[in-house]
Amino acid sequence: MKTATLAKLAVAGSRTDKFRMAFTAVSSALAAVVLLAAATVAAVPELVNPDDGSDKWNEQYSSTLIREPGLRPGVVLTLLLLAVPVLFLAGQSIRFGSPARDRRLAAMRLAGATPGQAVLIAATETAVAALLGSIVGTGAFLLLRVLLDRRNADGTLPLPTDVLPSALAVTGVLVLVPVLAALIGAFLLRRVIITPLGVVRRVRTRSPRLWPGVLILVGVFAPLLIRRLGEVLARWISGDLMLVVAFVAVLLAAVAVIVGTGWIAYTAGRLLHRFGRRPAMLLAGRQLMADPWNGSRTLAALLAALVVGAGVLGYRAFMQTELAARDEAWAARGDVIGDPGLDSFYLNSVDLVRIAVAVGVVVAAAGIMVALAESIVSRRRTYAGLVAAGVPRRVLGASIAWQTLAPLVPAVLVALTVGVSLLRGVATTATGGGGASCSGTEAECFEGSPNWVQYPEVTKAVPVPLGDLLLLGGGAVAIMLVVVGVGLVLLRSSTDLDELRVA
Amino acid sequence: MTALLQGIGLQRSYGPTPALRGIDFEIGAGEIVAVTGPSGCGKSTLLHCLAGILRVDAGEVRYRDQDLGLWSEANRSKLRRTEFGVLFQFGQLVPELTAAENVALPLLLAGSGRREARKAATLWLGRFGVGDLADQLPGKMSGGQQQRCAVARALVTEPKVLFADEPTGALDALTGEQVLTEIVHIAREQGASVVLVTHDAQIAAYADREITLRDGVVDRSGLGLEIGS
Repeated sequence: MKTATLAKLAVAGSRTDKFRMAFTAVSSALAAVVLLAAATVAAVPELVNPDDGSDKWNEQYSSTLIREPGLRPGVVLTLLLLAVPVLFLAGQSIRFGSPARDRRLAAMRLAGATPGQAVLIAATETAVAALLGSIVGTGAFLLLRVLLDRRNADGTLPLPTDVLPSALAVTGVLVLVPVLAALIGAFLLRRVIITPLGVVRRVRTRSPRLWPGVLILVGVFAPLLIRRLGEVLARWISGDLMLVVAFVAVLLAAVAVIVGTGWIAYTAGRLLHRFGRRPAMLLAGRQLMADPWNGSRTLAALLAALVVGAGVLGYRAFMQTELAARDEAWAARGDVIGDPGLDSFYLNSVDLVRIAVAVGVVVAAAGIMVALAESIVSRRRTYAGLVAAGVPRRVLGASIAWQTLAPLVPAVLVALTVGVSLLRGVATTATGGGGASCSGTEAECFEGSPNWVQYPEVTKAVPVPLGDLLLLGGGAVAIMLVVVGVGLVLLRSSTDLDELRVA
Repeated sequence: MTALLQGIGLQRSYGPTPALRGIDFEIGAGEIVAVTGPSGCGKSTLLHCLAGILRVDAGEVRYRDQDLGLWSEANRSKLRRTEFGVLFQFGQLVPELTAAENVALPLLLAGSGRREARKAATLWLGRFGVGDLADQLPGKMSGGQQQRCAVARALVTEPKVLFADEPTGALDALTGEQVLTEIVHIAREQGASVVLVTHDAQIAAYADREITLRDGVVDRSGLGLEIGS
């Protein structure tokens, strides 16, 4: 098939298809803006002190997050993490309005397209929309860069608008966004068989074995393992490489939670089916057992955001404990040397990541909305038939709510536990104080001299930030309740009798 | 025969397109009436209005002398899962539920216990010759077996009226005939009335009486035949 034909077939379609393309384009534009922002922060030049060769702060910026070279990688990482759910949303939009798309793809198969070509057409549609989105996003980013380039009264810049991301980074974003969106889309279509007579979804009949459940334990204990490994590897590898190892631990834990959710969904389904007394529970239980992986697919971005979020909360609790231990140690000597401004700055920096996680959770919820809508629409004829036979809509609504919430609640608990254990596996206590200070000449300063001040070392247990975790988990569940609520509105239109008239 | 279900001057439109243009209809207890006519003549719309699935724009649907138009959606739903049975061409079984669970669903909704509902479901599946498929998912059954399960589900509550919209439309001739024979046999046995929508004259022959629709009205040109008494 020629590229021009492929592009033409990909963008042809009904109003729903156009809406899906617009949705993909908007998500991609957002992803492009976030990725370019990360590339810009990464492009801020590293300055070196000519005297001692140490890192020098970029004093032209007002925000310490940009000014301090040690904090910039954290900002870049936060922005990259934020881009993940946005990209996932762009890829997930391939599911949006799927009945119309399915009919179109089936018609193309009837006209002679091979199954591979049909998937390629669907993925190309996503790629074309994502490319348009990333071009628009790049334009918006450049425009914003000009509009926000305003110096403060002291001559500093609030944002790094004086640097441009490298041409390679811009090209990379323009290519990466559509490619990733298309790949995610094609991945989501891997169980879809497009035949000339319609589209069917391959259902996995084998129930999940226990290993995905065991993976959750791997997630919980991954940090401990990494810690032990780190102690051994520390002799041979640098601190930067240890960061990579830590990143792998986070990734491993997140993947473990996501894959383990398949098993959680299946087990929740079995319990609902076994002990549920109401028809809604029976329906939900059976549907969860029939496709338990749908839960892990759908909730993937949300759970990943929760693992990272809980990890950040754990890190914040550690920082707070460490600062409190230091203050306590200094107070024991009657000194107050801490800089409250700087302390709160570091805590606020962590809060910035918390905001990014919250945004990530909202974006992930939008993705879940798309998946839920697709699931309702694909079952619309069955639902319409049941309503016609007298099944109350509230029973169907309750079954959808059970289907979503039964695996969600345990999965959220697991994600929070794994996220918090990321740090607790490494440190359950924080130590502050220690060290000494001395005012006087070198000759007057020695251990035991009158000018020598030895600070005690205080070690405190790092508390589990239960309140914050409850807020994060509760927030995620609350957002999902909103998503289910919107799904129920869609259910109403999907159980319309007209659905029974469509052959 | 006293009418169990009546439609009086039924009118219903889809936007500017009229589907029913003042139809009168009645069916007595235990009677089987076939509604026939070409595609788009309003057969399915009539069935949906009589079953209380759709509200009419004008006219009255009366069941046991009560105007269903005055009933709430919830009450009409309850009526459909207790006094009425509804059967479509396809797409009725929940794909994730086993045959027995699909058939048991209306009983569970009516408040029966799971064991009791399962027992009744297995019994009904047995009556339609698919008792050994009780634990199978619909996807593993043939079209005929699925439709037998759907019939069992429609009849498990022992409805007073069965509404069947092209119930054998997706089946081959032989299977279709078998399924229809079973429906008629059970309906006669239970004294249930059947409103049978079809465009197939051979299927209509199973009914006591046939009414033919054309362009949303009853065709009185003589093509519609009175089969029974």
